[in-house]
Amino acid sequence: MRLVLAVATLAPATAFAVDYLSAEQAAKLMFPDAERFEARQIELDAATLQKLDAQGVKARSARWPVLLAKAGNATLGFVVTDEVIGKYELISYAVGIGGDGVVKSVEVLSYRESHGHEIRLPAWRRQFAGKTAASPLRLGDDIANISGATLSCRHVTDGVRRIVAVVDMARRGGLL
Amino acid sequence: MSAGWQRRARPLLGTLVEVGVAAPGGGDAIASGLCAAFGAAFAAVAEVQACMSRFDPASDVGRFHALPAGQGCSVRPATASVLRAAAALQRESGGLFDITQGSAPAGWRIEGRTWWRLDAAARVDLGGIAKGYAVDRAVIALRRHGCAGGWVNAGGDLRAFGSAELPLQLRDEVHGGVRRFGRLADGAFATSRLPGGGHVSVAAPRALWADALTKVLAFSGDPGHPLLARHGAQGFLH
Repeated sequence: MRLVLAVATLAPATAFAVDYLSAEQAAKLMFPDAERFEARQIELDAATLQKLDAQGVKARSARWPVLLAKAGNATLGFVVTDEVIGKYELISYAVGIGGDGVVKSVEVLSYRESHGHEIRLPAWRRQFAGKTAASPLRLGDDIANISGATLSCRHVTDGVRRIVAVVDMARRGGLL
Repeated sequence: MSAGWQRRARPLLGTLVEVGVAAPGGGDAIASGLCAAFGAAFAAVAEVQACMSRFDPASDVGRFHALPAGQGCSVRPATASVLRAAAALQRESGGLFDITQGSAPAGWRIEGRTWWRLDAAARVDLGGIAKGYAVDRAVIALRRHGCAGGWVNAGGDLRAFGSAELPLQLRDEVHGGVRRFGRLADGAFATSRLPGGGHVSVAAPRALWADALTKVLAFSGDPGHPLLARHGAQGFLH
């Protein structure tokens, strides 16, 4: 074990960010057998939104972009990306759902952390738009290894639940 | 150490679990052939979650809570390992470390792979030790896949191995942002927040001990507590 302490406690960094995967990379990881991915958009009508609401799911949006993993004519599954905001953090993630409707995996695409107030400002969020794993922020440059009171992933867990419900509803309604 | 590291993250253990490994050729996260190593590391963490989550009635902890007093259940090897470590820590710390969090410190016993519930009041939470254990298991998985260096960070329970040397940053919960704390190689680091404000951190060779010993330090308030030295650990109040 080697531990070297910092000489002085510096002022807090204003923000940092990590890019893990692009949505395309995540989709390929989740469905390695897919020959191609087709982009679709789920449009939920008012009645469907009400049904989701009755299930305790706030759909948050009527429009959901979905990638269909295809092999020949078969649909292997679906990939939906989303982002959630926590107290200090902005997390974008992808959910892979198999043809059976079961979650195959959840991959975090990117992670942003900031002072609490900045994350709610559109300007702060905009600076990360268009970042992909092709332009990764590097360890040491942009930090990764935070030790502190445990970060809660409740927002992501809630988000995954929402996406599963939306995809399920779209399939039942013949939208996918 | 900026170039040549591949990183992935998944939501597990109720937090964000990040895995980083040395990618000798650099390049694409998928093409670099590290998928199996990442997969094994996350699978190791997911297995610990399946065994020890207190929210899952099918976990060993969930099954323990369904037992009447005086009965035992068979637990998976991972759970038995963590319970043996918890029992040793409870004994060595004079009860400062207590997975029942005061509900019934003498209300359980582990014998081989049988977990006995001795008191119906015993409510167990392995959150103060299992996260560190999960990090250790993930590091073992990475090494088995031939990774020469890397790290696993489960929401602040962190361990670095091999060629990785990591900057340690502490989150500022009052104002946001992070503060530089130091650098870590070949070891583990964990931080807990104190109820009354302030933090305790422990550096130790393994993440299980770093995680668990933060509780001993938090309750004793003593960075010189003999248990820390016994496990090769250093403690910090800050």
